[in-house]
Amino acid sequence: MKLSQSVLGLLTGRRPGGAQPLDKGRMMGQVIARRYFLAAGMLFALQGIVALLGAADLVIPDFPSPVPFEFGRSVHLGLATLWPFIGSLGLVYYFVVEELDHDIFSVRLANWQFWLVLFSGLGIYGSLALRIGNGREYLEGMPVFYAGIAFSLALGAFNLYKTVASDRSRVTPAASVMAIGVFLLLVMVVPNIFHFNNPVADEGVKFWVVHLWEEMALELTTAGFVASFFKTTGMARPKDVEKWLYLEVSLTVVSALFGTGHHYFWIGYPAYWLVIGFAFSALQLVPAVFLVHMTYKGLKRRVSTGKREKLALWLILSSLLYHVLGAYSMGFIISVPWVNLYMHGTFLTSSHAHLAVFGALGFLVLGGSYYCLSRGIEPDRKSFRMGVLAVLALNLGLLVMAGSLLAGGLVQTYLWRVLGMDFMRVMALVQPYLALRLLGGGLFTLGDMLLGWQIFKVWKETRPRSAAPLPAD
Amino acid sequence: MKLRTVIIISALSLAAFFLVNFASFRLPGPVPSGAAAGKKVWQAYNCVECHTLFGNGGYVGDDMTHVVRKMSPEEIMDYLVNPPVMRPNRRKHHPGVTEAEARDLVSYFQYLNTIPTLGWPPEPMRPGGNP
Repeated sequence: MKLSQSVLGLLTGRRPGGAQPLDKGRMMGQVIARRYFLAAGMLFALQGIVALLGAADLVIPDFPSPVPFEFGRSVHLGLATLWPFIGSLGLVYYFVVEELDHDIFSVRLANWQFWLVLFSGLGIYGSLALRIGNGREYLEGMPVFYAGIAFSLALGAFNLYKTVASDRSRVTPAASVMAIGVFLLLVMVVPNIFHFNNPVADEGVKFWVVHLWEEMALELTTAGFVASFFKTTGMARPKDVEKWLYLEVSLTVVSALFGTGHHYFWIGYPAYWLVIGFAFSALQLVPAVFLVHMTYKGLKRRVSTGKREKLALWLILSSLLYHVLGAYSMGFIISVPWVNLYMHGTFLTSSHAHLAVFGALGFLVLGGSYYCLSRGIEPDRKSFRMGVLAVLALNLGLLVMAGSLLAGGLVQTYLWRVLGMDFMRVMALVQPYLALRLLGGGLFTLGDMLLGWQIFKVWKETRPRSAAPLPAD
Repeated sequence: MKLRTVIIISALSLAAFFLVNFASFRLPGPVPSGAAAGKKVWQAYNCVECHTLFGNGGYVGDDMTHVVRKMSPEEIMDYLVNPPVMRPNRRKHHPGVTEAEARDLVSYFQYLNTIPTLGWPPEPMRPGGNP
């Protein structure tokens, strides 16, 4: 046996020629994916509480908080980015093996990746709670933890490549698109491990994660999930999915990459980014239109679904709504340079961020997590009602939060940017909008806790015991 | 469309994106050591969570990109070394820093002020704040 084979065998737990367990419904890739879903669900529940405390700190003078606002907000932003990321990795493992109909290349690597991601994520939150951070918005944790995340993504990308490449005749568009998404996550996070003295480079590179993780890489991983979901539930024919997925993905990659330009308008980049950012932000609407068209056609087919699929579908449809309204339409309007000049750096941006990060991505990951974890069981009447209530509270809470931030942002833009009033005077005048945001946040957190509980419950109910297979569809 | 086409389009777009970025964020000269030290202080105190730089960050405090146009270095130093109570709180003070850190921060703000921001933030249309 060659040395390289021995090392690979030691790292991956595979013997040359050794067969991996193959048991439809209980493939190890799917068993490991369940851990990602549970971790994402629990971190999501925690995020609601942290965000609510932060919103309260903004409107209640001398709010007694053990963690100062500036570090509490970091934990909120860190959680807001990392839980959908962790959930998306679960979706990738789950649906790649489902699509390929064979198990993951290395169970050991997938396990290591999970624990490394979780350790790095918890390390970020723990150190920030102790007031130790790196002070870059959305990437506030110490660089060593992002190195851990990058290393875990390298393990994941290698594992997925070997899994997909092991039988090329079975490769499906959904599986390959998800694997590409993980590779892009890795490419974009690596430069963010390093310190930049140059503040322009620091700002620019930051958006490779802040913008491109969500609007490119995670868009690919979740597009693979949506394609799989539509095929499984009969909402789309496999041929149709194969026809649009590669085209949608190519457009997403190109438009998201250069659409990053709308973040580069005023940070010291040359003026040609005004044109690039605006033009490619407009192009980002095209893949969203594809997705809406596909969903509309699927809904018209009126496929009969059970309660489990209904709950998942409502979460996915919620995501679609915010994709179109919050992420792309609002994103496009605020990327018009003349509009951006005035609204940039106000609560309007915050409104867009809430709709795009949680609305578009979060709902999709939650829908996927619930759908996969509840495989083989139907929610009883009480659980179904709780689930519906959670979806409603999350939607209503998000709309109130984003709406009040939008209204507050418009007032702030007019008084501060147009009239030139003093910043602190304007802040005092937008307090009622921030108080309304707190109310919306309370409603959102209620939905957050209810759905978090549902996710934990289905995880517990479908937990594989000893050699018994997972319930099949 | 085939997988190979997607990979080629993505790889070419990535390469072009990185190249244009490297060309875009290159500075005419090295960052002065005081400003580089100030950037580290800015990051260590997590200032971006309340203040924005180039309009990016938290919205609780004012934007700091051109703060040296509104306050003198001495005023900034005094504010940072003897932090006042933050309105509308009655007890909570703005975080304080040492004198050396404040000096580095001022150097950083002075350096930021030299970076061209294409006319952002805009001049108010009706300066003075009267509707």
